[in-house]
Amino acid sequence: MKASGNFNAFRVMAWKELTILARYPVEFVASFGRIFLIVAIFSLAGKMFFEGRPASAAGGMAAPASGVVIYGFVLYMFLSDTLWTIGYAVRQEQLQGTLEQLYLTPVSKLISLVARVTNTLVWNGMLTLAAAALMVAIIGRSPVQNPWLGAYLLIMALAGTFGVGFAFAALSLRLRETAQTVANFLQFGLMILCANFFPFSALPPWVVNISRLIPLAYGVDAFRSTLMGYPQGFPELAPIQAEVVIVTLFGVGMPLLGYWLYRRAELHARQQGSLSMY
Amino acid sequence: MNNLSALLASARMRLITISRYPGQIVLDIAVPVIFAALPIMLGRASGEAAASAAFSRNAGTPNYVAYMLIGSSVFSIVSMAFWHIAYWLRWEQESGTLEAIYLTPTHRAWVAGGTVLYSCLRSLVAAFAAYLIGAWVFGISPFQGEMGLALVFLAVGLVPVYGLALLFGALILKVKEANSLVSLMQWGVSFLMGVFFPITVFPPTLRAIALLFPPTWMTNGVRSALLGMGYFFGEWYFDLAVLWLFLLVTPLAGVRIFSWAERSLRRNEGVGQF
Repeated sequence: MKASGNFNAFRVMAWKELTILARYPVEFVASFGRIFLIVAIFSLAGKMFFEGRPASAAGGMAAPASGVVIYGFVLYMFLSDTLWTIGYAVRQEQLQGTLEQLYLTPVSKLISLVARVTNTLVWNGMLTLAAAALMVAIIGRSPVQNPWLGAYLLIMALAGTFGVGFAFAALSLRLRETAQTVANFLQFGLMILCANFFPFSALPPWVVNISRLIPLAYGVDAFRSTLMGYPQGFPELAPIQAEVVIVTLFGVGMPLLGYWLYRRAELHARQQGSLSMY
Repeated sequence: MNNLSALLASARMRLITISRYPGQIVLDIAVPVIFAALPIMLGRASGEAAASAAFSRNAGTPNYVAYMLIGSSVFSIVSMAFWHIAYWLRWEQESGTLEAIYLTPTHRAWVAGGTVLYSCLRSLVAAFAAYLIGAWVFGISPFQGEMGLALVFLAVGLVPVYGLALLFGALILKVKEANSLVSLMQWGVSFLMGVFFPITVFPPTLRAIALLFPPTWMTNGVRSALLGMGYFFGEWYFDLAVLWLFLLVTPLAGVRIFSWAERSLRRNEGVGQF
């Protein structure tokens, strides 16, 4: 298929997802309300530790606390959906009985996967901006330093999670219904190990050592440290130069690896005749 | 007697089903611990002693770990009540058995009662396990304060919570988008009941709304009994009396509104439509 044909296919697929999204206004409104409530709950919880407290008594955390939470949250918003949406979409096609047909069309499989998550990213972008504004209103303004490097790290971390998303889609083809439980476990595990809502210093040293094995953790650390202007003690996992290299490798290598895994799982499913089995 | 055996059979069927998904049971226990871990970690990172002092000033107890764990454990009970009732109805609709349940000689209240019994058992086991495991992980004693009184608040609070869940079930029957509504409701509930903060941080109107909500009294009752932070009306028996009032009013309102939703559905397109 030509590049223009692929682009058209991508546009149509993304439009189809948007049409479906628009047909469920309750879900549309609920997702907005949900994010606002989550932000309010965690911001108010954080406020309990800092309200009326002198900066000198904050264990070196008062100043960057809002940055840690707000930037960690921004990254979490993008990453959580990117990670699981692709796998869920493949599963949904299986349940609806349309996956087999999709594989008989000449459309690129990569485009089919990426189109699933495009609307989510746009919608999440809007939600994140609104939620970050609410967080700033509750827990205070956060510094914005090095915005270009911050944007680069965000893009690389997102690219990397796209790769993890492809790998999870491969897992969905293999594990079927169990994949959702695995996804839930991983999601909660990553929430702790990547320390999106608190600094890594809060974790016991042996847990930090596990975090050091996860490239996404470097993404979280580098992104928020960069935007906060590297306050004392940040970044926490490695020097920033090393973190930028790790995040870049993750952003470039993981999509390739994830897509390769997906194609292998897909090939296996087609050979076994289990592509549409669920 | 037959009705009771239908109730028990309904609960048993659901317990057998969930026992086939051990990963889900582990997740039931892990989620409240992880949920509470997020603010606890933030507190720990900001200096243990200073965090305790600030928390004590703002929330009324220096023991923020227990405060958060109690909040998330009670929240998991409330949240599961909503999920289980809403999903029971939605599942029966989707699998095409809701209409059939309405045509059996056993009144549907007994089948619903079985779901409530199953939900109570599952959520209480998960919440207690989460509280104990969380206390062990974060190094606090789970057995402190007046345990018996905390259990009384929990037991009395469960009835209005399921009354509310029934109200919510009526909404699910009408709107039919269970997933979106339950997840929104779940966070709305945790916000109003003050899962990680006292409701005194709310502006007066929001505080008044929170006080009309039974889980707020249940959470504060359990926390005050265990951590001694102070009841809304100063003494435990006043707060418990309010919860008893909810116990009488909420289930009646729940049944009434649910019946109204049912009637209007049966007159129009039938309960099996989804």
